Amino acid sequence: MSNDLVRVTIDEREVHVPKGTGLVETALAAGVEIPVFCYEPRLGAPVGACRMCLVELEGIPKLQAACTLTATDGMVVRTARTSTKAAEGQNATLEFILVNHPLDCPVCDKGGECPLQDLTFRYGPGNTRMSFEKLTFEKPIPISPAISLDRERCILCYRCTRFSEDVSEDGQLVARNRGAMSVITTFEDEPYSGPFTGNVTELCPVGALLPTQYRFEGRPWEIQNVPTVCGMCSVGCNVNATVREGKVKRILSRNHPEIDEGWICDKGRFGFTHLRSADRIVDPIKRVRLRGFEPVSWDDALDEAERLLRAARGRVVVALSGSETVEQAYALAKLVRVGLGSHEAMLPEEVSHGLDAYGLPLSAIRDAQVVVVLGDVSVAERAPIVDLWIRAARRNGARILHELDEQAVHDADRSVLIWSGPGGRGGATVAAHAERLGLAGKPGCGAFYLPETPNGRGAADAWAAASDEEPAQAESVGLLIVSGDEAANDPNVRALAEKAESVIAVSMFHGLAVGWADLVLPGTSYLERDGTYVNLEGRLQRLRRSAVPPAPDELAWLSQLASRFGVELAPHAPSVFAELSERIYGGLAFGEVGERAPLRGYAGAPAHVEAPPLPEPEAARGGLRLVCYKPLFSGPAVERVEELQFQRPAAEVELARDDAKARGIANGQAVTVSHNGTSVQLRARIAKDLRAGVVRIAREHAGDLRGTVEVSA
Amino acid sequence: MAAEASPALVLGGAEEQPLRDLASYRAVGGYAQLERARAMTPQQVIEELIASNLRGRGGAFFPTGRKASFIPTPDKIAKPVYITVNADESEPGTFKDREIMLRVPHRLVEGCLIAAHAIQSRSVFIYIRGEYSTEYDVLQAAVGEAQGAGLLGDVSIVVHRGAGAYICGEETALLESLEGKRGQPRSKPPFPAIEGVYASPTLINNVETITTIPVVLQVGPAEFAKIGVPPDSTGTRVFCLSGNVVRPGAYERPHGITVRELIYDIGGGIADGRKLKAVMVGGSSFPVMTPDEIDTRLDATSLGQRGLFIGSGVVTAIDDRACIVQFALRVAQFYMHESCGKCTPCRVGTRWLVQLLRAVENGSATEHDLELLLDVCDRIIGKCLCVLGDSAAMPVASCVTKYRDEFHEHLAHGGCPFGADSSLDRLFAPVDQHHLAPVAHEAGV
Amino acid sequence: MSLADEIQQVAKRYPDSKSAILPALRLAQEQHGWLSRAAIEEVGEALDLTPAYCMSVASFYDMFNLEPAGRHTIEVCTNVCCGLVNAQAVLESFERELGVAPGETTADGEITLRAVECLGACSTPTAVAVDHRYRQSVTPDQAASIVEELRGR
Repeated sequence: MSNDLVRVTIDEREVHVPKGTGLVETALAAGVEIPVFCYEPRLGAPVGACRMCLVELEGIPKLQAACTLTATDGMVVRTARTSTKAAEGQNATLEFILVNHPLDCPVCDKGGECPLQDLTFRYGPGNTRMSFEKLTFEKPIPISPAISLDRERCILCYRCTRFSEDVSEDGQLVARNRGAMSVITTFEDEPYSGPFTGNVTELCPVGALLPTQYRFEGRPWEIQNVPTVCGMCSVGCNVNATVREGKVKRILSRNHPEIDEGWICDKGRFGFTHLRSADRIVDPIKRVRLRGFEPVSWDDALDEAERLLRAARGRVVVALSGSETVEQAYALAKLVRVGLGSHEAMLPEEVSHGLDAYGLPLSAIRDAQVVVVLGDVSVAERAPIVDLWIRAARRNGARILHELDEQAVHDADRSVLIWSGPGGRGGATVAAHAERLGLAGKPGCGAFYLPETPNGRGAADAWAAASDEEPAQAESVGLLIVSGDEAANDPNVRALAEKAESVIAVSMFHGLAVGWADLVLPGTSYLERDGTYVNLEGRLQRLRRSAVPPAPDELAWLSQLASRFGVELAPHAPSVFAELSERIYGGLAFGEVGERAPLRGYAGAPAHVEAPPLPEPEAARGGLRLVCYKPLFSGPAVERVEELQFQRPAAEVELARDDAKARGIANGQAVTVSHNGTSVQLRARIAKDLRAGVVRIAREHAGDLRGTVEVSA
Repeated sequence: MAAEASPALVLGGAEEQPLRDLASYRAVGGYAQLERARAMTPQQVIEELIASNLRGRGGAFFPTGRKASFIPTPDKIAKPVYITVNADESEPGTFKDREIMLRVPHRLVEGCLIAAHAIQSRSVFIYIRGEYSTEYDVLQAAVGEAQGAGLLGDVSIVVHRGAGAYICGEETALLESLEGKRGQPRSKPPFPAIEGVYASPTLINNVETITTIPVVLQVGPAEFAKIGVPPDSTGTRVFCLSGNVVRPGAYERPHGITVRELIYDIGGGIADGRKLKAVMVGGSSFPVMTPDEIDTRLDATSLGQRGLFIGSGVVTAIDDRACIVQFALRVAQFYMHESCGKCTPCRVGTRWLVQLLRAVENGSATEHDLELLLDVCDRIIGKCLCVLGDSAAMPVASCVTKYRDEFHEHLAHGGCPFGADSSLDRLFAPVDQHHLAPVAHEAGV
Repeated sequence: MSLADEIQQVAKRYPDSKSAILPALRLAQEQHGWLSRAAIEEVGEALDLTPAYCMSVASFYDMFNLEPAGRHTIEVCTNVCCGLVNAQAVLESFERELGVAPGETTADGEITLRAVECLGACSTPTAVAVDHRYRQSVTPDQAASIVEELRGR
């Protein structure tokens, strides 16, 4: 699109827009709405299928689909507002759309927030002239456990199939048959699966594709949408939590054009039902000698916590999850570090300041000419939306490389490096590459590190901000505080808990924490918290409490506990943020973090990073290097969501094409993966994005396999 | 224009026997025009086509030379340019391309190669409808022979078989299908000359058009432009005469012959001594012609004055045994079956038309339904993504307006007044084979 | 040559292998008799397309069978040109000979009968495609011998 302005007349109103602006957008600029169903610019080139946007174009006798046109100088357009012909076209389309639509709005979950309903109300006929049998289909059909399809309501706008083919590129949701008999379907009885399927429920302009979780759960006048940020991974997609009577009923995207472009993954969309998991902990639970574990009052719990803390003073270790809000991590740090003089934290993953110099939004990936993805773990497993940005880049003509081709990076004006997998040293590795390749300070260039935790960096920074004291290695662990479910689920943390004299765990779930900690305090979810998160771009974003937690949140009891140690700690996120912001966010006010937060970057980050030396390349020892990864659809929350169970990773080993060929292994074949006498039976899958010499297995299927493995048929 | 004085040009040399092999085609001067063309500059070839005013024989009647001139030359674009020959002949009543491919396959190949030279393309795809098995074999053999004889030079010709979808005769649907997709038309612009197959400039022409190119060079553009009805309808057409005539067949005649001449002089008149009731002219996609219009000349201008179209050169005589409502119903059923399902008015409207016509036919319709029928036609025409919707609505609307009395008789009679006497009585339509669409649950029309 | 190899051979004719999907589906159908789940998956694997995509494309075209079909097919044109000259009688004659309705396959799985749209042989009605080869000017009384001929194959 060029910046030359052109003059367009829409319904006798003149408007100047950049040449090439879509006509629908041009009309909007002139204050004229052109109604659409199939048009959705995020799905690629317009298709002109629904015919709702018919307009009259001066000089052309036939009505034109406005969505397929772009503004040119001197264009004169008449919409249904001023052209009888266009109005007739629009009426015709709406009548045709309603011919087969069941008009079951009173029992349809889309009712009240349905584009078809709205446009029918505004432009549609008051009655129907269709007196014959409508097309009928079996309904609703579960196209997956998470999404149901009502083919009678479907108006065949093809938004969903275009998403599947052209955005997520999974090629699973398709149209079958031709003409009037066309229907949306998957292959045979296979469920629509993959990281992004739920987006079709938001794209659907009618009640055809609906999330099963929301079926009969609420009406638009009974709900509120709370703007917050997803806490399921490090991307930090902007979302709306649909709330009814204090409970989250649904998660919707909330387009942040630099982060998510309005797409969210299924974990973020459907994962919220872990909030109402049957084993949710609502009261503190204390280990009672000879009687096991018993719920206790908060007073008792805080007394017990105080006792344990005093007993271990100076020998407290905190295991962080990386899913704490910045405020929570700071509060915990202040209690333990200032109140007890214990400075040792076990971080969930390594963090680095290496990439602080690059203030690059994720959307820069789409505009890059070369995208190098290193680290050997599928991007979608770590930071799903980044995978969509990479696909968008490829569709724009970018080269996507899985080996560092330095010449390609040098030759391109805009290159982005992405590290997804082990060996990233919190971003230091990819930062070293980027620095060496001269990407620092070059417009549109930079690097991203994809962490495993949603707010690992924010939590680490908050921990550091609470005190300047250096941790002194204690000879024994007096008390281990396990902060959150990911930490509670971490085998390394559990191993340390075995050695600790006592353990306090903060967790949401019985199944996870009860049985091995001396005191379990109820945890909350990101949907139940106020506060801030820092995403993988380094963007500080605001979480808003969407649901009322079943127990006081972490800040509430941390503040009470802190006061017992003479530490002043506010119980509310805004006050905690005000305190820590002075130290690490340049005094930014809580209220200014923003609903669609800008990328502020790290204050005081040097323009050039100190390039840490790269690790020695591993010596080739024959065999295949095993990369074990934490799958997107795994973890304590996912395990508690019924609608996501079918998305759990299959028992597979991924191989590069050449490695499979060399071993005579076909796609889908049963194979044995072995290492040092241990072996695991898995199904082979040939992965196009995998380098030769590397194999990939989801952690939960890798058993005891480590290091170098061999795969045999 | 005397009907019998007819120079066979496109089918020239094949009047008695088909010219299937290279030797027999060479014997009538075959491939001489290719040689001549290759001695000319590409621009000169295009200029000759423009001078001849040859127009597309597939139905749209667009000037062939101008279309070729829209293709960017290699100095203007870095992409390859393609030629796609539309051999997806599926318009009801049309069989001329089949005759051409069976009788003069090498002339088609020669036309492809001259066109390739004209737009400097090295890649030709001939998209042939999937049902044409013998035609595919014959054409493939001709391409093989031409290749063996070194005639192709650096041009490749791939004969690509369709798989049964009328809509793939629409140029952009054809491109989609050729790219390996569902054959759903694209929104234009971009036009194929700029972004056709594989997002590259693409020249799309009908078989008969391409096969006429060597003829244009052979007789010379100026002479060619004198044949038929200059300036707009030059040259000959391979007319497809069928229906209730004594001698149906493919007859190559200059533009301007009248429908009466074709049916009575060439076709031997209406069979079994019946009376002519209607004529399907151009194909089933257009308004029907009444008997009092049959002196109309078959050229674009004369037909256009009556709101008719030359289409793909179809003339199908319908005698007085046929119920016109049944005819309209069967035509509507065809378009319902062939609607691609992409745009709303066509997908929904064609089915609604079938329902309304069936109601008229079985006597459950009212006067109000006739008006609704016309209104539905009106709401389809000019609103669709491609011309298929119009193709369903135009003939149906013309039946209602031109044979309104017969529609009224149905209403008054409480059903078809012809009963079992109609030649189209109970004619089964493929769209009723519903179990072929297993996901549809009781999709009764 | 395996089906996958055959498909990959055909794919070489095109700048983009996706273009080979119609020939590939045709080959798979010839080999499997119809486009079964396995047949579709084979095509998808050979062309690096999802089975859903292959099914979606196949279902658009009339010549692909997404349900089991007979070893032989008889396809009677019932569009208007043939219809004006007795196509319905020809179709009914085949229905009687085979004991099936249009769109159905004989109980022994031998012959599928179909009504089809215009075959482009309008000057020689009624046009009937028998195993995809045209018979022209077919009359109702020829149905029996055509069926007999197929049963003998």
